[in-house]
Amino acid sequence: MSGNAATASLSAKHAGKLRDPALFLSVAVIWVFLAVFILFPLVKILILTFEKDGQPSLAALLEILSRKSHYTAFWNSLLLGGLVGVAGTVLGFFFAFTAVRANLPKRWTAFLDLAIILPLISPPFTTAIAMIFSFGPRGLITYELLGMRGFNAYGLHTTLFAETVTYFPIAYLTLKAILAGIDPNVEDMAFSLGASRWRVFRTVTLPLTVPGLANSFLLLFAASLADFATPLILAGNSFPVLPTDAYLQITGLFDLKGGAVLSFVLLVPAFVVFVLQRFWVSRKTYVTITGKSGAQTEIKSVSPVVSRLLLAICILLSLLIVYFYVLLFYASIVMALGANHNLTLKHYRVVFTEGVKAIQDTLLIAGVGMFLGGVYGVVVGYLVGKKRFVSRAAMEVVSMVNYSLPGTIVGIAYLIAFNSPPLVITGTAAIIIAAYVFRYGATGIRTTVAILQQIDPSIEEASHSLGAGTVTTFRRITIPLILPGLFAGLGVVFIRSMTAISATIFLVSIHWTLITVRILEKMTELELGVAAAFSVLVVAVVLAGTSGIGLTLRRFRQPGAPSMSSILGG
Amino acid sequence: MAKCQKWSRMFAVAILLILTASGGSAADKTLNAYSIWPENWARPMFEEFEKATGIKVNFVRFSSGEALARVIAEKNNPQVDVLFGGPVETFSAGIKEGVFEPYKPPAFKVLEPRFKDPQGYWVGIADDPLVFMTNKKFLSENKLSAPASWNDLLDPAYKGMLQMADARTSGTAVTRIFSILEVFGRDEAKALNYMKKLRANVQVYTKSGGGGTIPVGLGQAGGGIFFIVDALKTQQEGYDVVVSFPKEGIGTATEAIALIKGAKNPDTAKKMIDWASSPAMQSLFAKYKINFPPAHPEVQIEPGLAAVMKGAKIFPIDSAWAGDNRKRMVDLWVQKVLE
Repeated sequence: MSGNAATASLSAKHAGKLRDPALFLSVAVIWVFLAVFILFPLVKILILTFEKDGQPSLAALLEILSRKSHYTAFWNSLLLGGLVGVAGTVLGFFFAFTAVRANLPKRWTAFLDLAIILPLISPPFTTAIAMIFSFGPRGLITYELLGMRGFNAYGLHTTLFAETVTYFPIAYLTLKAILAGIDPNVEDMAFSLGASRWRVFRTVTLPLTVPGLANSFLLLFAASLADFATPLILAGNSFPVLPTDAYLQITGLFDLKGGAVLSFVLLVPAFVVFVLQRFWVSRKTYVTITGKSGAQTEIKSVSPVVSRLLLAICILLSLLIVYFYVLLFYASIVMALGANHNLTLKHYRVVFTEGVKAIQDTLLIAGVGMFLGGVYGVVVGYLVGKKRFVSRAAMEVVSMVNYSLPGTIVGIAYLIAFNSPPLVITGTAAIIIAAYVFRYGATGIRTTVAILQQIDPSIEEASHSLGAGTVTTFRRITIPLILPGLFAGLGVVFIRSMTAISATIFLVSIHWTLITVRILEKMTELELGVAAAFSVLVVAVVLAGTSGIGLTLRRFRQPGAPSMSSILGG
Repeated sequence: MAKCQKWSRMFAVAILLILTASGGSAADKTLNAYSIWPENWARPMFEEFEKATGIKVNFVRFSSGEALARVIAEKNNPQVDVLFGGPVETFSAGIKEGVFEPYKPPAFKVLEPRFKDPQGYWVGIADDPLVFMTNKKFLSENKLSAPASWNDLLDPAYKGMLQMADARTSGTAVTRIFSILEVFGRDEAKALNYMKKLRANVQVYTKSGGGGTIPVGLGQAGGGIFFIVDALKTQQEGYDVVVSFPKEGIGTATEAIALIKGAKNPDTAKKMIDWASSPAMQSLFAKYKINFPPAHPEVQIEPGLAAVMKGAKIFPIDSAWAGDNRKRMVDLWVQKVLE
């Protein structure tokens, strides 16, 4: 999807010539922003890791690594990430294959889409809360339903399950797009050569999705590596993981250096993933769409029996997800789930009295952040995708850095970088907004680049030859074409501002707080009803926001414009 | 294009709003605080304070480790005026970091020595003993009686069924560690050995001191070690739990308040400290069902609370010694107990 050979060769011709002052100015401005909000924090975290008394040193790193608990936590994180990657990819493939190839009636696809979208737009620990209620020693499922005694709800198994349920939608969306892109005619050819369905699946469909599978594995691995909230609640005392340890090191002991070193350790696998994804997986995308293909063929990949079976399994799993959310809603309207099931609105009263400040702050930050993030995404996307200038490729890579790193690292890096002069913005809304814009604005960049690649330059040339000037062409042709990119950026920054916690937990202050941080506080204060009510509010607001943006997107429907749900994936 | 300009104007206004909102809160009728007490206790206290003085309190709640960490990090540019509530060892540790300003409120003279720092870096606003809290149904299913000794908690019946706080974030946990140290005559090796054995029975170390109370109430966990306020709140909410004390004794921590050095609203902060250390606030505990024994000698302990504590062997934690050794003990706990 990213930078292609054609633009690269063209750029060589014009590189280095500053004939366009407007271009030069915008490139310079963007680089200043990237330097301040992406490179500077990253450099600060590296300096803190590799410096002792002003001298370069490996001492801090070696000390942390010699501590057995951190060492265990490091391997645990890789193990958890790997397992979540595999389990989530398998589950995602299963759902995607069912949705694309099982000839489902439309309403079933819609149901699956809804069930799958829920975890994507929720605060990160909603699954964890529901898991505790369902699977503990007195859990609704383990104890009340199955009569199991002393079931242990804490550890690798529950953390893995919760993270898989939370993140497999990313795999689903990634793989659905790829499976849908495989022309059924290709499978048809194999069928007409006499292959069985299983053989076609094994030798045609599966190999074509391998790059997608690898990509989805890496996305899930990275998501798990960034998640400190689920293990904080579910990992228990025997399964420490690195993101949670880094979080406790910083928030509990305010050991910035220790936190920096721990997140540096986390940076290594994250960076490997980033490189693999960018320079290996993205090169291996198979293209099976060859211009206008023949008449759409009927999908024959699965037999009706298998199709029913696939659907049944998917529906069961979707019902489990829906059950989690029903439970969450129920917990928000009863006095105390598990003890007193009288209906009450008191938790919502708390949300709309004590919680008003957090709600206002979050909405304001999300509101400002989404516009800045949307504009940032389109501008950088336009520069990178359409213009030729020195450092174009570097800009594309750097703009993706904050997005690719685990949120805990970004949060810690911001805290370290902006806590002392020259730029002190800790405690302000600006630091939270900056964290969101430069992390999630990346989605807008990628969407814009993808759209620009699909716009034939002849459209703009036609406008020129009809006598329109550069400005008119830009305004009348280019802007409408890249509007979906703007909305993609807007949407993702909005959703993440409402739901993310990993980066911003380090950045909230007495003046500016966020709903997700309140939810975590409420959970640790054991006001689970209030935590549930806050979560329901977030899901409702995000659902409304997403539908709004989705409807707007549909008005600009055009080739290459992504749907709202596909933007949410990786 | 006109539309574009409208948008950019809206941006500018919004950004301006944010800049002014974060910078200009210098009104003298407000107070900024980090509260270590949970919001549902801190809020009514702060509302009563506003009623009494007209001073509005902006606050955020953090676990004690987090709150202290923030105060230390913001030393050069303090964001709050007082640190409110939380066990005293947190405050002793803060003195070492130089984040507090001494202030002696009117109540200072009448407070017992253990409820005040000699120099006035902090003053006590309540007393808070630790207790064992167990789930009644869990006890009867396992044919146990309520634990009456620290060794009772090592019973294999509790395997993977205890919840208590994580020393990295929670003052409850630090008070627990110092209690165990006292019980073992400050013999660190023995105390750590006990904690290591105890760990086998621990299901999860929670971020917040009261984090395990509802799981114990629901029977998701069998029991744990909590502050009495958290334990009694669980009981008041209708969960079937038993509160008991170990015969070897258990520690109690003073809940304190302190003025932040370089506070932007020192006058309102002092008014808050005057109020919180006096009967004016501490006699409100019973009204809001906050089960702290008061620190001020003129405030009567609520009879129900007195009954629970009757006959229990409770000793105060030596705050100066605890403050000096806090960081080292937490480190040791992470290294020797968690690893």
